[in-house]
Amino acid sequence: MTTESGAGLHTVGRSVERYDGVGFVTGRTQYAADLTFPRMLHLKVVRSPSHHARIRGVDLSEAQEVPGFVRALTHADVPHNVYTILGLIGVEPEEEFVLPVDRVRYKGEPIVAILAETEAAAYEAVAKVRLDLEELPAVFDMDEALAPGAPVVTHWGNNTFMYEGHECRRVRYGDVEAGFAAADAIVEGEYRTSPIEHAPLETTGCIAVPEANGRFTVHTNSQAIYFSLDNTSIILQLAANRLRFIGGTVGGGFGGKVDVIVEPLATLGAMLTGRPVRYVYSRSEEMQVSSTRSAEIIRIKDGVMADGTIVARKVTGMADCGAYSRQTPYAITKFAANATGPYRIPNAWVDAYCVYTNRTPTSAMRGFGVTMGHFAVEVQMDKIARLCGLDPWTVRFRNAHRNGDIKPHRKATADATLIETMQAAAELVGVELAPELRAMTSAPRDAVASAPRDAVAPAPRDAQEGDR
Amino acid sequence: MTVSHYYLPASVPEALGLLGAHGPELLVIAGGTVAMPLINEGISLPVRVMGLRRAGLDGIERTGDELRIGATATLTGLLALDAIPMLREAAARVAGWSVRNMATVGGNLFTPPPGGDVATALLALGARAVVTGPAGDREVPLAGFWTGFMTNDLASDELLTGIVVPLEPGRATCVKFGRKQANTPAVVTVAVHLAMDEDGETVRTARIALGAAGPHPVRMARAEAALAGTRLEPAAIAESAAAAAADCEPFTDAVASEWYRRRMVAVFVGRALTVLAQPASPASGRGA
Amino acid sequence: MASVIVSFELSGREVEVMVKPMTTLQAVLRTQLGHTAVKDGCRQGGCGSCTVLVDGEPMLSCLLPVQDIAGRRVTTVEGLTPAEGLHPIQKAFLEANGFQCGYCTPGMVLLAKALLDHNPEPGRDEIVDALAGNACRCTGYDPIIEAISKAAATAAAGAAR
Repeated sequence: MTTESGAGLHTVGRSVERYDGVGFVTGRTQYAADLTFPRMLHLKVVRSPSHHARIRGVDLSEAQEVPGFVRALTHADVPHNVYTILGLIGVEPEEEFVLPVDRVRYKGEPIVAILAETEAAAYEAVAKVRLDLEELPAVFDMDEALAPGAPVVTHWGNNTFMYEGHECRRVRYGDVEAGFAAADAIVEGEYRTSPIEHAPLETTGCIAVPEANGRFTVHTNSQAIYFSLDNTSIILQLAANRLRFIGGTVGGGFGGKVDVIVEPLATLGAMLTGRPVRYVYSRSEEMQVSSTRSAEIIRIKDGVMADGTIVARKVTGMADCGAYSRQTPYAITKFAANATGPYRIPNAWVDAYCVYTNRTPTSAMRGFGVTMGHFAVEVQMDKIARLCGLDPWTVRFRNAHRNGDIKPHRKATADATLIETMQAAAELVGVELAPELRAMTSAPRDAVASAPRDAVAPAPRDAQEGDR
Repeated sequence: MTVSHYYLPASVPEALGLLGAHGPELLVIAGGTVAMPLINEGISLPVRVMGLRRAGLDGIERTGDELRIGATATLTGLLALDAIPMLREAAARVAGWSVRNMATVGGNLFTPPPGGDVATALLALGARAVVTGPAGDREVPLAGFWTGFMTNDLASDELLTGIVVPLEPGRATCVKFGRKQANTPAVVTVAVHLAMDEDGETVRTARIALGAAGPHPVRMARAEAALAGTRLEPAAIAESAAAAAADCEPFTDAVASEWYRRRMVAVFVGRALTVLAQPASPASGRGA
Repeated sequence: MASVIVSFELSGREVEVMVKPMTTLQAVLRTQLGHTAVKDGCRQGGCGSCTVLVDGEPMLSCLLPVQDIAGRRVTTVEGLTPAEGLHPIQKAFLEANGFQCGYCTPGMVLLAKALLDHNPEPGRDEIVDALAGNACRCTGYDPIIEAISKAAATAAAGAAR
């Protein structure tokens, strides 16, 4: 293969051995929990057995007697205890507790951290901490959480993340009611997705090491090293240049290791004891407590013409962020922008809610906010096709966006390739497309398709192997 | 870990001595595939533990018309057996290779549901547990071995030392239905042994055992009776399957709901019996 | 809680460790003997990342009290790796890109070794059955199966010469 200039390509088009492959096959690759340091302490947390409760008391007296117990970390030890991961990009308010003060909001929420000489001693001390909790009513369902009278999870009084004073992320474009009135048919659908746990083979964890120069080196398997460093700096009120975060190979992330959960406590432990502190999740912590992809409920109402074109779409989307919102407000924003899919819909109304419940906090995973949204959008397209008596290709071609189409969130479509991609896909799977569909292109709707635009005609290219 | 003493007795008398000295306080483990996860998680906090890997209980021998399987013979050991293909099939479906190298036949009798695939097969084969105590050996038909969820016939000074499996001619099969194709807990396990009449086509007696459909592996008496004297006609199979589904006591867990398990009992009892109704061939997947 | 001394053979040499009763082989290998290629994914026997070979047979070190394998021969990926270069199975994984994050790889490599020692020409079904107890969350398994097929084919070609 050659470029237009004729220069050879040495890597593109070849199978290249991964530079880190030797480490994997020999087992030499160091993962965060493989490291060990002299006098290292083990950190394990006491977790709430209750989904929602007032914390009346925490009794450490028995735990402190366990041989090997070194000290506990409580909320009083945390310099800046309430934070939000996305605070660094201007998201507010701060809402998540490193260690909660008077209320736990999800089952598994850490309440107290125990530092001990050995892992066994840490587990034993954790088991001996006595919690005095007063059960509160809990809510696990998004519709229930939004209904009046629901138990309130947040500290600001309702169960939605607030987007600039609004209960949801809103997109308003055109006039959906007029669109529905003009439509030949109304097609509705409700789509639900479940939480998904990433289940990486390597569990979340880090080791924080105090250095002789007063800095802390944190070896972590976070996918978001700078997020973690900067949030730890804020939480510990420590200048960022006193923190050195070392990442490396993550043993599976998939978005599950982008929350700043273990580093602040481990580093705090190192600060307060002067010793390296290891905080690594067990498998059951990884399954129960680490964030998941959020469950979503997406309700779509489309006004559709007989030829399958969608003239109006009203969407209510909800993502269950659980007890703390973490990355889900961002997921909802992305969802709102993608609620019309790669289709041109001239009237749109989107209300997308980030809903708090007493479930495990949810966060990032593989295209979060968009992937679930597209599931709903595409199943809806198939539904429209069936109701209009069309095949699934036709309904998509007829609605496909083109360059220059303005999306409901006011961005102009650029580099659209849906039509061309579907044409190529149809050919690959042996589907014969109708002439109407074969003739379509992503060129702007109002362009004169055949008008030449280039001042200089491109040089003819020799036919290459693999050209169609 | 809270363990203060871990014993590895080199013989059955030594093991019994330890059991006698420490009684119910002593946790007995063999392959460790059920106990170690609980100990590792801090759910089980034993102080004294006895491991049976060195106690000389891992042999398998065929004596005449019986197979004597040592309690700590591994599931991999069962896979090397030609004598009972259906037992081999049951063992092959448990977990993965590494676990089969560690998990024991005896240990499978103590594995809580939905585990216990091999125990289910042994129940259908009419196996007997060999229990050894200070007074010597006694044998307990497996049908009487389990007394409830995680409870059994053993006295606190007794040890399961082996399983005796009669080599009875007839037709047998074991089928496990899980959510994945391998390394998966059972939604339901069905094991069947049919003793046939002289004509070779009429069922004399049937043993149908279910796993993951009760507090322990269970025999389905009504389902068995529905087959006696029949030639495994579709109607007889359907009646048997329906009886098993009605009489079993499945539970809901993370793997499957009680509702689903009950329906799958009907389906897989039906399928197992349909396999056994086919004319015998090397590929028929059955055989005692 | 009296500690005990356990000795066994590791990577061709005799080692001796002092452990609290029932310490697992996984803990000993990872924290006392520096064999961190043995991974720690679950401690439940569910993921297979702690796989080691005991007298050539695969076992899960997280479920194995080290006292149980006293006197036995234990092989980890560290033991499989030659002083220079790579074992042919490791080469096959490298060439087939039989990994993404690498966490399951040591376990898979050891299983491959054990499988090919038992059965030098496994079919796809036999490879799949051998790997059934080891989870991979990244690759979808095909590259790993291909790596093992490749290793078998290469060994067969080498033997034929």
